Amino acid sequence: MQKILIIDDDPDFRLAVRMVVEAHDFEMEEAAAPDEGISKVLSFEPDLVILDVMMPTDYEGFQVARELREKHKLIDLPVLMLTNVHSVKKVPYRFAPDEDYLPVDVFLDKPIEPEQLVATIQEMLGERREELELPL
Amino acid sequence: MKTVKHKEYPIVVVGGSAAGLTAGITARRHYPQDDVLLVREERQVLIPCGIPYIFGTVGSPDKNLISDAVLEKNGIELLLARATDIDREKRVLHTTEGDVGYERLIIATGSRPAMPPIPGFDLDGVHAVVKDVAYLSELQQRLETSKDVVIIGGGFIGIEFADEINKAGDKNVTIVEMLPHCLALAYDEEFCVEMEKVLESRGINIRTSSRVDQIAGDGKVEKVVLSGGDEIEADVVIVGIGAVANVDLAQKAGLRIGLTGSIAVDRTMQTSDENIYACGDCAEKISFFGGRPSPLKLASIATLEARIAGANLFGIRRENVGTVGVWSTAVENTALATAGLTEVMAKKRGYDVVAVTVQGPNRHPGLMPGAADTRVKLVFERNSGVILGGQVMGGPAAGEVSNIISACVQNRMTAEDIAMFQTGTHPALTASPIAYHMVNAAEMAIKQMSECGG
Repeated sequence: MQKILIIDDDPDFRLAVRMVVEAHDFEMEEAAAPDEGISKVLSFEPDLVILDVMMPTDYEGFQVARELREKHKLIDLPVLMLTNVHSVKKVPYRFAPDEDYLPVDVFLDKPIEPEQLVATIQEMLGERREELELPL
Repeated sequence: MKTVKHKEYPIVVVGGSAAGLTAGITARRHYPQDDVLLVREERQVLIPCGIPYIFGTVGSPDKNLISDAVLEKNGIELLLARATDIDREKRVLHTTEGDVGYERLIIATGSRPAMPPIPGFDLDGVHAVVKDVAYLSELQQRLETSKDVVIIGGGFIGIEFADEINKAGDKNVTIVEMLPHCLALAYDEEFCVEMEKVLESRGINIRTSSRVDQIAGDGKVEKVVLSGGDEIEADVVIVGIGAVANVDLAQKAGLRIGLTGSIAVDRTMQTSDENIYACGDCAEKISFFGGRPSPLKLASIATLEARIAGANLFGIRRENVGTVGVWSTAVENTALATAGLTEVMAKKRGYDVVAVTVQGPNRHPGLMPGAADTRVKLVFERNSGVILGGQVMGGPAAGEVSNIISACVQNRMTAEDIAMFQTGTHPALTASPIAYHMVNAAEMAIKQMSECGG
């Protein structure tokens, strides 16, 4: 059974995700804060991490992503950033996966349909993670 | 503002920039009996590629607009409204100005600028390249009183912004690029170096192989700190590192979003809903070379996809062969243009390549008015002789030469095909028939291939 860790400070959202992913035969673990999340990445050894950004108000999730890659060298751990940072901060730009500044594999905005969440997880786990060969 | 309530249209397009407009025009051409409604939020639509020139040559966002006369000329109705959701079952588009029924819907919601979460990105004075008249007007006002401008990203947007802002003549303009050269994702090193020389000769500072670690300031930007510890004073920072697909509407409607974060489409530009198409920056792209996802976002690609989507609404007529990647830029009198793969990119992808460069004037004799020293580099696959790409540096005609190269690439022409080009030449218009760049480069490539037993 493949394991998923969600790092998100919203208990309702964590519960909703748990119900969806467990219904699709994934093992689920939760963390409510950045430090707890990093600890559980190391102890639970998930196959994929769902990572929030604002925990609770600032951009803590960005730092978690960098720490996983740079400090803990978890280069191949699939990370799905799932957040409502754009709508809450009302910024005219968008954050996106970036090898140097935002090392996650997929960035999606909340809310997300359960079917799409599952499809994205399955796609991220089922396929070899392909690097985009910039610029073509 | 027009209000539409529960009216139905055979074709509805969401988005009014290059892709949406072209999709609407194409739909009218292919299905002239069907009404087309274009829904867009913006009162004024900027010409995306012209945005850097607002800050120098053009002078104002108001002078860089797509005219609505195009809609009228093509018989396309316009609804100024924000599309808020799609009822896919009932085929109804919800907007802030009422509901609109559709038979076929085209989503062309474009992209938003990417912002790297560098510490300090949210300081006052840090700007993205937002396609919005009010936002760019504010940036323009701020630039009028600025002294030190740092541009993060040395791609096309970055160098064009730098050169245009630098034209005011009273600012320190610095480009910070993480890669070893500006434009390194589009050109081989020798071309990048030449363009960097041109930029530096015009007083622009260039910091390559430099990562920005922090944008620092007390409430507003004061300096940019590089990874090596160097600091660059800044009162305005402009981030030009790329764009992110705007999929808000599509995602809310439950359309499939690809792993690249763009709307998943097939080669006909159809989304996961057979009645909904997507094109332009919001739609997922694949490369012409190998078919992997491509992050390229260009207005020329957007309009190609729009011509496919608009034609396919009631029956498949066109398919997308994938993104070749054709674009150009110019600083002063030096133009750079590219199509397809560079030598470095081709090798990285595993091709065994023959690369040939020729150089000479694009008039004959070279003293004719308008002559520009022109360098053309073509890249071929060694065994098949098929052209993979090419780069051009020279005068304004470079852009059209790269379009010719694109035609060769799309048609998978060989060096022999190109060597047998039947070209028209004229002293005042073209290179000499004896030294026609494309033909001579192809001939040299054939020689190299034969020498290697290929």
